[in-house]
This record gives sequence, structure tokens and C-alpha cells, in this order.
Amino acid sequence: MSSLQEKIKEYRQIFQDLASRVKGAKEAEELRQQFFGRKKGHLTLLFDELKHLSPQERKRAGKALNDFKEEIQKLLTELEEKFRTEKPVRLVEDLTLPGKKLYWGSPHPITLFQREIEKIFMSMGFSVEEGPEIETDYYNFEALNFPPHHPARDSWDTLYINNKLLLRTHTSPVQVRVMEKKKPPIRIIIPGKVFRRETPDPTHLPMFYQVEGLVVDEGVTFAHLKGTLQYFIKALFGEKIKLRFRPSFFPFTEPSAEVDIECIVCNGQDPNCRVCGGSGWKEILGAGMVDPQVFKNVNIDPEKYSGWAFGLGIDRTAMFAFQIPEMRYFYENDLRFLRQFNRK
Amino acid sequence: MKISYEWLKEFVDLNISPEELTSLFNQVGLMVETTEKIEGDAVYEIETYANRPDTLGHLGVAREIATLLDLSLKSKTWPLVELEQPTSDLIDIQIMDSKLCPRYCGLVVKGVKVCPSPEWLRKRVEAIGLRPINNVVDISNYVCFSLGQPIHTFDLNKIGGAKIIIRKARKGETIRTLEGMLVDLSPEMMVIADESRPVAIAGVIGGEESGITEKTRDVFIESANFNPISVRLTAKKLGLTTDASYRFERGADVNCAPVAATMAASLLCSFGAMASRGLLDVYPAPGKLKTVTLRLKRIAELLGVEIPSDFVIKTLTGLGLKLKEEGKNVWSVEVPSFRVDLEREADLIEEVARFYDYDRIPSEVTPAKSFELPADRKRERLWRLKEILFHQGFDEVINFSFADPEKEKIWQTGLNPIKLKNPISSRSSMLRTSLLPGLVENAVWNFNREAEGVHIFEVGNIYFWEDKEVHKEKLRLGILSTGIREGQTWKEPKKETDFFVLKGAVESLVSLLGLNSLDFKSEGHPFFEDGQSLQMFLKNEPLGYLGVIKKAIARNYELESPAYGAELDLSELLERQLKPFTFVQIPKFPGTSRDLSFLLDESVPYQEIHRQLQKLNVPYLERFEVYDRFQGESIPPGRVSFAVRFFFRHQARTLQTEEVDRAMLDILSQLKTSLKIQLR
Repeated sequence: MSSLQEKIKEYRQIFQDLASRVKGAKEAEELRQQFFGRKKGHLTLLFDELKHLSPQERKRAGKALNDFKEEIQKLLTELEEKFRTEKPVRLVEDLTLPGKKLYWGSPHPITLFQREIEKIFMSMGFSVEEGPEIETDYYNFEALNFPPHHPARDSWDTLYINNKLLLRTHTSPVQVRVMEKKKPPIRIIIPGKVFRRETPDPTHLPMFYQVEGLVVDEGVTFAHLKGTLQYFIKALFGEKIKLRFRPSFFPFTEPSAEVDIECIVCNGQDPNCRVCGGSGWKEILGAGMVDPQVFKNVNIDPEKYSGWAFGLGIDRTAMFAFQIPEMRYFYENDLRFLRQFNRK
Repeated sequence: MKISYEWLKEFVDLNISPEELTSLFNQVGLMVETTEKIEGDAVYEIETYANRPDTLGHLGVAREIATLLDLSLKSKTWPLVELEQPTSDLIDIQIMDSKLCPRYCGLVVKGVKVCPSPEWLRKRVEAIGLRPINNVVDISNYVCFSLGQPIHTFDLNKIGGAKIIIRKARKGETIRTLEGMLVDLSPEMMVIADESRPVAIAGVIGGEESGITEKTRDVFIESANFNPISVRLTAKKLGLTTDASYRFERGADVNCAPVAATMAASLLCSFGAMASRGLLDVYPAPGKLKTVTLRLKRIAELLGVEIPSDFVIKTLTGLGLKLKEEGKNVWSVEVPSFRVDLEREADLIEEVARFYDYDRIPSEVTPAKSFELPADRKRERLWRLKEILFHQGFDEVINFSFADPEKEKIWQTGLNPIKLKNPISSRSSMLRTSLLPGLVENAVWNFNREAEGVHIFEVGNIYFWEDKEVHKEKLRLGILSTGIREGQTWKEPKKETDFFVLKGAVESLVSLLGLNSLDFKSEGHPFFEDGQSLQMFLKNEPLGYLGVIKKAIARNYELESPAYGAELDLSELLERQLKPFTFVQIPKFPGTSRDLSFLLDESVPYQEIHRQLQKLNVPYLERFEVYDRFQGESIPPGRVSFAVRFFFRHQARTLQTEEVDRAMLDILSQLKTSLKIQLR
């Protein structure tokens, strides 16, 4: 017993001698190892000696040893603190200066809007199809029930390459291409570039983007067309937007409809509104039930299957949604315009 | 088409206000674009459709409104004050081809006094936006815009031989039109001729010489039906669209011809003239009315709503269709000749739906029995590709697909361009064969508008003839970087972009898309300065080019700052199949790194160094990194210094210093052989 007390005294002396010679963090760490090392540390060895003592002696000696351990522990920590070699905190002179921002490029607004539309339809189980921009008269017109030399073609003024080839005037030819190779059920949207022989003005350009939708299955009705488009428009413009369906004419749908939405610019309040002309409504898309002749052209039985289709101008809808007055902004690619859509 | 509220009242007793009428028009699809109030009348500008020539007259529009309001159309009679002389004594009508002219009706009115129209007629003519001329002309217009049937009036005495021959024009024939224009006729054009020459272009415009003048006393009224395609082709060829051609090319009502002739004659009689006895009606092959089967069940199947049969019967009857019951709720429907658009059951169902009101049809989601998996992940990867570029500070642009042949010449893309037959202008008369010209234009546009740097990309098609017959469109990615880089702050000086910004973008693009083995080969290209371009390969497939854009090209656009451009074929990047992704165990044991600085001949391109470093066969070598390249005073001329950091690791234990030392010696000796390096 007395020997352990003496050993404590002895090691206290050793520790003090060594501690007084410590000149850096590394030496402090070495000193800690000398005392606390798992195998050969002085304290480890002293604790090992406890097991040779009787139970009463062990209790007392144990307490003394623990006190000594805490004492050394404390001194070591002070010593280590003294030699801690951390870099000092560097003070920022003016925290109100602007931060370093990474510049993120901006998506083109057409891409952005098209993607929003795609996401809505994909959430309803639609897949995305694409087709060629250079088309034949057959796919662009005839298969879609435009007879040759019919005035209906006047609304689809065409840029021709030669007698056979033209630049597609709408995305509808892709409907025909898909129905030719795939049997119902069909549930697709078709986004893409289209071309018209239009003299440029604020709302017309010879190239723009469209998105087309097509559903073909047994038992598809006009009510389904209405419900799906209603969901789509609300998803795009917000739940409160009002819309109306009115009859129209497209050679490839029967019955045909046009969909107007409430003017979000003036809410029908401004009789001189440059967006809706005071009507309170803005025409946004054309739609209808797939014409039986179109089904016949692709060998789908119109008695067994029915379907609906719609087409929407992406540029014009984006103009309306973002309140852009001129369509040409989309293709001038002025960075001051494009970069606004980074925030969208 | 302008529709007057007061004029409609000639056909139906409207019991609603002009404002209420607007919403009815919209319901049936006669969309009101504008409404104008003119002297107690309301005039609507109505959108009409190419398949509805019946709505190009007030009668047809009145029929729609009457049906909607459950009213009947007023019946009208056109009394004549008749001469003793039969019409056939005064004029002879001969149709040469009844396919081109199915029906031709004529009447003569004698003793006409050409004078200004009375107030009521002037009002009608003004309502539809025309200028009143004289009673004869105004009556023609009034009849046309009432019934939708164009008529033409000739001065009887100017018709040579009192003969009307409907024939094709003869080679070399000309006519001076009512508008005073001398027109060369070609043999496919249909004309109205007298015994010696054309007096009108059938269905398009009359001739000046046979027209009505103040001296005209006797008028020949033509009311005919002409082949729509023939009229359209003639009008298109002449570049002339008239109220008559607009109606004929859409298909006029063959049975309206006699009515319109009588109406016109009756109105002229009301000014004191007298009509010849008996209408001349040449109708060699009278057409039959179409019949279409309609099933009530099918209406519900297509519209998704049950519509009562009495509503169907009432609506279609109101529109002038005749229903004959064929079975329970199945009808055989006879379509009147004025509805050229109604041919199939679906057409009749649209009629029912229009009058039922689209807004009353319920809205339901489209049910699906199955969803299809996307055929490929192309679109997802395209968006990922764009995001990678946004992340690196590139803005997306979209340019027109058209190109200016003059500008395109500067680039020499080597592709055979596709020209347009009817371009909007010569400066957009072909399709682009590269995306870079557009991007350079965008750069210049923006430099001229306060931009200091332009870093942009475009994804889009280029187009070319692969050979004489085969055209191609290919999806490309174009990238351009020029001027000051983005995202710099008060902390650092402004930096100009360089070639490696562009190259880095392309490299990260490829690797972040999950593809590796992008290779570069030094290769000349017409867009880029000599020796300043690389061709890119993905697993030996050519991917595209990148380089320093030629000053000689940039000069044409007045682009001053150096520009770096790349153009990649996207089919490779988007369609290449990827190995399914699996994770790699993160190392459990610490690694060690060693640096090596060496000199070598400056003619050795980095790519070669990289290749040799990759080839190193040394144990525990994990990867390497070049962290310095230096040439300068301290380096012997013709030599270049490189510093490379090597990383070593053992998968199952910590490496010993001696093992790493040995590996470094190994590296040194291998590089001495392969690259002839010399230690610094």
C-alpha cells in the first residue's frame, strides 16, 4: 500500500520534471503517451498493480490512483492548450460586401415552358414522341384529311423545298407517323419546331414551337378531352384560371374545338387590353376528336377506337403566361431577355 | 365575315339584344372577334371556317341562330315584273364542261336605270364594309352577302352574239378585269365568253368591257355554280381573291343559284325594270343530296354524355336536315346542299354538340388501362446535358433554322444545303448546315448591347442533302464562348474566356453524361484557325469539332474578341447505351501522394504524356494529376516542365514508405523510356 502511495509521489515528481521541459504540442502528446499509453503508460501500469492488493486496500489505493489520474489529466490538458497551434480566426473586414455567386446559365424560355408542359403530361402517363421537321405533303396534309387544293390549307401557309418536301407546318404529322407504327392504346405528346410562310409581326414568325397531344383507345370521349385539357391548363396557369370550349374547324378532328382561357393580363376588365382585345378571353389551343378519316388513313378502325388530339403554340402561350409583347424576343437571343428566365 | 344584326332580322325575328347575340355566336363556333355599333345597328366581325361556306351569308348565320333560339326562318318570295319576251330569246347559255360548271342560271332585266342606291341598301352595303357604288352593283353585293351565292351582272348589249359560253380559256387570250388589270389567261382557267372572247373569269372577276356602266339599260344576271378547285387554282394563279372566288372555292350551294338570280332580278324590278320571262337554268347533271346514318348511341360514345333524341331531332331539323327513323334511335339523315361540310356521322355529331353547348359536356380525366415505359431516356439526357452547360455558365439560345446563303458561304461547312422553293426572303432562303454561324450572330448582337462576354449553346437540327434525293436532319449541339467570363466579383479581376473553358465544358459534359473515352485528334477544319482545332471522338466514333474560330470568319460579323466554338453530333451523346450504374467501394485505408517534376521536349503534346501516364504499369498507383506546366527562363529552350502528382493506395492495408519509393522509381524509369523525360 505504502509503496503505491510512494509510487504516486514519485510519478508526480517525474511528471512535473517532464512537463517543465515540454516545448511544443508534439512533446505534450508524447508526455500523454508516457502516462496514458494503452500498454506501457505509467498510469496504466499503476492501475495494473491494483489487482495484487486485498479488497480493502484496493478500494483506498484505487481512489488515490483515480485522484492522481485526474490531476495528471488536468495538467496535461492545460499543457496541450498552451501549445495548441491553430491558425487564428481571420476577421472579415466588411461582411456587407456581396457574396461570391456562381453564374448559372439560363434555359431558353421556350425550353423552360416546353419542359413544364411535358412534365404535366408525363405525370398523367403520357410519353413524348418526336418526328422530322422536313415532311412530305402526305404526312403534313393528306393523311390529316386536308384534300389537295382545299382552302383549309390557307391557314397552314407552307414553306416548300420541292414538289415532294416541305417544312412541317404543325406537329400533327407525327400523330400519323406514330399511329402508323403503333396500335392503341396511344397516349403521347409531341413537342417540336414548326414552320409557316408568315410575314414576321409581333405575334407571327416563320418558325415557332408547338406541342401536340394524342390519345387513342377504346371508349375515349370528348368529355375526356375536356377533363384532361382542363387539368393541364390549371396545372400550367393555376387552379383559378377559367376556360371555355367553343366549336371550331380542323380537318383532322371532328368535332373540333378551340379553348380560350381567361385573360390573365386584364381579367376581362380592360376594353383596350392588347392581349385579349377586351373580350376577356385568349385563344390558347385547338383540339377535337380524331377525325374518322385520319384513323382510316392509318388503318385504325374508327368504330372500335376513338381518340382526341390537341395542339398548342408554345411561343404564344409562353408570351401570354410571361406577358411578353413580341414573339421575336424568343429568337433574338438577347442575353438581357434570356437571363430573366433563370429565375423562373 | 361581317354580320349585321339588322340584316339578320330580315331572316329571323330576333328576340334578343345584340349583346346577348354575341355569346350565342360563340357557343356555336361563330367566334365574334369584334363588334361595332353603326347607326342603330350592331356589326360583328365573325370568324368563319373553310368548311362552312353557308356562313358566308346572313341567311346561313340566321339559320344557326334560329336553331339555337328555336325560331323558324322567315320565308321570303321574290316577285318579278315580267316582260313578254322569254329569257331564251334574249340570251343563249352553253356549258362546255359540266364538271367545271355544274349549273348556270341567267335572267335578263331590261330598262334598268343605273343610279345611286336608296338609303336602306346603302346601309346594308356599308355594314359589311363595302362602298356603295350604284343600285346594280349594290344589289349584287346585297344578294351575295344575304345568301352566300355570288352573282355577276353584265351589260347585255356588250355580250357579243347574245351568247354565254362557259369554257376554258384559249391560249393567248387576255381580259381586262373590272379592276382595270389586263390579265393573261391560261388554258386551265375557266372563263365566261361571248361568241368571240372572254367576258369574265368564271367565279373570280368580271371583265371591264362587259361591265355595268351608267349607260347600261339591259342587264344579264349570272348566278352559277363553279368547281371549287378550278376557281381556287385560277384565283391563286392570278393572285386575286374576290368575294366570289372566296365563296366558290369553299363550295357554293348548287341549289341557291336560281334563288339568287331571281332575288337580284326582283330587286332590280323594284327600281322600275322588267325581267325576262322564265329563268334560264342550265343544270346538265343535277346532283343528289347526301344521306348519312346517325346513331344516338354513337353520340354518347363520342361525346361522353347522353343527349336526348328529341334534342337531336329538333337541332338537326332546325339546321335544315331531314331525319328519317331507320330503327330505334337510328336515323337516315338527308343533308341539304348548302351544308357541304356534312358527310359522315362524326360531322352530324359535331352539329349536335355545338348546339348542345360544349360547355355543358362534362369534364372527365382520360382513363388509362396501362402506362407505357418511355422507349429511351433521350429526353432526360438532353435535359441533363443542358443542365451541365447551365452549371458551367452557358446560356441557352434558339435560332431560326433558316440561313442566309451569303453568310453560309463564309463558313464552308462542306454540306450540300437545302434551299427553299418559296422563302420569305433571300436572306432566309435555305436551311442551316451548322449551328455556329447563328451563335456568332448572337454573340455580336449581345456585344452590341452591353454584353462583355457571351457564353451560349444551342441544341437543334441542321439540314442537308446527303445525295440528290436523300435529305438529312441531324440534331447538333453548338457551343460558343467569347469575351469576359461570367460569375466574377469584386474579389477577382475580370478574366477572359479561353479555349480550355470550352474544352472543359465539353469534357465535363461527356463524363457527367456517364460516358468516358472522349478522345481528341488534332485535325484541320474550315471554321477554325490552322492548327487550332481538334476533332472529338467517342469510342472511335467522330463526335464533332472544337477550336479557335477563324479571324477571317469573325471579321465578316465584326466580332472582335477571340471566339471559341464547338459543334457536336448529339445522336452519339444521347443514344449510346450506358452500363447500369453501380457504386464503387470507398477506400478503407489511407492513400499517399508523391510529386514529380520533369522536363521534356516541348513538341510532345500533353495528350501523349497523358496516354503514357495512363499506360504506366506500377503497383498501387491509383491516379495522377497534372498540376503545373511551365516554360520560361529557368527551363532550357525547347523544353517544357511538367509537374505531376501521383496517388498510391493499397486496398487492404496502409502502404509503407519504401513501397511508394519503389513505385516512384518504377514510374521514373518507365517515363524515361516512353517520354524521354529528364528530372528537374
